[in-house]
Amino acid sequence: MQLEQSTLTTKVAEPPVTGKRETFYYDNAIVRNFSYATIIWGVVGMLGGLWAALQLLFPNVLNVGPWFNFGRLRPLHTNAVIFAFVGNGIFMGYYYSIQRLLKSRMWSDKLSRIHFWGWQLIIVAAAITLPLGYTTGKEYAELEWPIDIAITVIWLVFGWNMFATILKRRERHLYVAVWFYIATFVTVAVLHVVNSIEIPAGFWKSYPVYAGVQDALVQWWYGHNAVAFFLTTPYLGLMYYFLPKAANRPVYSYKLSIIHFWALIFLYIWAGPHHLLYTALPNWAQSLGIVFSFMLIFPSWGGMINGLLTLRGAWDKVRDDVILKFMVVAVTAYGMATFEGPMLSLKSINALSHFTDWTVAHVHVGGLGWNGMLTFGILYWIIPKIFRTELFSKKLANLHFWLGTLGILFWAIPMYWAGFMQTSMWKQFTPSGQLKYQFLDTVTFMKPFYAVRGFGGTLFLLGAIIMMYNLFKTVAKAKIVANEQAEAPALEKVYHKHKGEHWHRWIERKPAPLLIASLIVILIGGAVEMIPTFMIKSNIPTIAAVKPYTPLELQGRDLYVREGCYVCHSQMIRPFRHETERYGEYSKAGEFVYDHPFQWGSKRTGPDLAREGAGNNRKSNAWHFNHLDDPQSISTGSVMPAYSFLIDNALDTSTTAGKIRVMQKLGVPYPAGYDKIANQDLVKQANEIAEDLKKNSVSVKSDKEVIAIIAYLQRLGTDITKNKMTAENK
Amino acid sequence: MFKFIKQYAETIKGIDVYPIISLFIFVLFFIAVLWYVRKMDKRKLEEIRNLPLDLADDNSYTNPTK
Repeated sequence: MQLEQSTLTTKVAEPPVTGKRETFYYDNAIVRNFSYATIIWGVVGMLGGLWAALQLLFPNVLNVGPWFNFGRLRPLHTNAVIFAFVGNGIFMGYYYSIQRLLKSRMWSDKLSRIHFWGWQLIIVAAAITLPLGYTTGKEYAELEWPIDIAITVIWLVFGWNMFATILKRRERHLYVAVWFYIATFVTVAVLHVVNSIEIPAGFWKSYPVYAGVQDALVQWWYGHNAVAFFLTTPYLGLMYYFLPKAANRPVYSYKLSIIHFWALIFLYIWAGPHHLLYTALPNWAQSLGIVFSFMLIFPSWGGMINGLLTLRGAWDKVRDDVILKFMVVAVTAYGMATFEGPMLSLKSINALSHFTDWTVAHVHVGGLGWNGMLTFGILYWIIPKIFRTELFSKKLANLHFWLGTLGILFWAIPMYWAGFMQTSMWKQFTPSGQLKYQFLDTVTFMKPFYAVRGFGGTLFLLGAIIMMYNLFKTVAKAKIVANEQAEAPALEKVYHKHKGEHWHRWIERKPAPLLIASLIVILIGGAVEMIPTFMIKSNIPTIAAVKPYTPLELQGRDLYVREGCYVCHSQMIRPFRHETERYGEYSKAGEFVYDHPFQWGSKRTGPDLAREGAGNNRKSNAWHFNHLDDPQSISTGSVMPAYSFLIDNALDTSTTAGKIRVMQKLGVPYPAGYDKIANQDLVKQANEIAEDLKKNSVSVKSDKEVIAIIAYLQRLGTDITKNKMTAENK
Repeated sequence: MFKFIKQYAETIKGIDVYPIISLFIFVLFFIAVLWYVRKMDKRKLEEIRNLPLDLADDNSYTNPTK
């Protein structure tokens, strides 16, 4: 049965027709292409996530090294769901809605197609290079420099086509969804370019120009705003179009949408440092992050409330309409995640949640709930529309809804529980003042929680596969309306201002000022946070004892990055008693000045490694060798993958000179001409380690990769202790 | 990077006051947006609010799940 169009009570009179009516065609083929891409990549990305989740239960079976070890698979999963599933989901809804909101076909079909195929090629490139270990080691920005350049080009193609379409539009006013698309384009461009400034040291290897604390600040300014401007603002744009469409009533408050748009883009950009609380980031930057993160709750909830109240008086529809069900769960999940986000930014709560599975649960409420469920709802809405048919099975869509919703619950609840347990176990002391649990105890304790999470993920994935089948059957019996006819009057050349009109009305009509205003608003936040960190010496106190890595350690560090060790191991000891007891002296900003990229990490599936080579944490070379070869033989119950291939692989020393030269360019004080002799030092240090291993009955050639990574691990945290200096500021 | 500016920025005393300034900028900005929204023309507002609901945009098959 069709919806009664007459139920649309709030529709106002058409604006007076002033221009000549023109006939034109919406491009539905591009919408279809992106919808297929989001479905396919969504299933692939979720499968990757499920696989990674199960690796923590069956590390020996499911880690197919080296390509699909957890450290390489997890970035593949995050990149796939963020940029492939959600990315294509954004573009699907964007191409459908912007043409209709502007009453215009896209400016160039060719640019639309370049955008589509370029984006898919980038995804394929990511799917190949990440398992091969080509990574920058910066979360959600792991792709190496040639792909970074491709992303920039394709993003500009998307923006160019968008602005050209806006300029030839037939609707004078830009609806709020279009503002969100513009803000997304502008901000993602800025974030991507600034965070990806790197110097190549080979075709698939680069070093970021930033080091240590600065790199951390730039990375989390990017990381947090990737959540904001890739997972949130474009989806709010989609919500503002598709929720009114599905509910057949206008958005609850347009005024609220204006306030919440500007407040959201203004505040979000400041909030990045909340990922770095209690770290070596200067305190003022942390405080800035906290204040703005807390304030974010208001514009975020402005969006949620606007979404939910759009359904006022239509809640009876939600019972019958599966699309609205998906959307209601999505908006509710958005509300929950954006309430939790500011709470997690408070120092006292962050002290508990950070580095635990709590954060993982938090992001999945947003990812599965907000992005996932909204994408599904939009897919069920768009596909029958552009194919001019009815959905194959309403029952299957309902089944998908319940599998998805239950999947989220089974996913998130055990992980919240796991997070609470981890943090409390890490912190517990015995009455005699000793740490109560070994780190490994907390790892093995998590396994039942990981199992339930795996079940939740399976349900969610199953739902997505059912949707794939349902939509496949829907399109199988229909033919796409590739070019959908529409009619609208042309825009008047001269706009007659009406009485009492305000500046914002002007900005709403003009895309260029809107773009510039958005840009200024987001740049203020970024600049205020970053410029002082880069400029003021006192923000990063130098420590005389901190020296550049030896060539072997540098190569070892690159292997550490290649294998994605940062995915599970942090290198950041926070100033808490339980951390300093377990890991040693807390980390200082000055210790990281030669770290391109920083490797502080964001999750402790394994223990912190900041002082792995120092004090009580220091182990023998033989221990590291055996542990990398077969972690479970050394640490029973460990979930770490085996890295025995490092024992077989020869270290590529042909890259050493080039790497040293790049480091010199970045200001690392290697002596002039050191690039030419660096490999001599490398061989010498490698021989020493191989000798030591031999003494401990481990026979391995000194030219193997494992030697380099041992050298790096043994170096970690030693600077300030070796020289018997506690981090005394110079 | 930024070498030219750096030597000047280093000499700025109390640059840590940035957070307060930024908060102040935001509050001013927010008040401006609130003020604008209050002044908006209601008729136009309704028109823009209904932009997505232009039914001519969609073909005759509407919500398939009803």
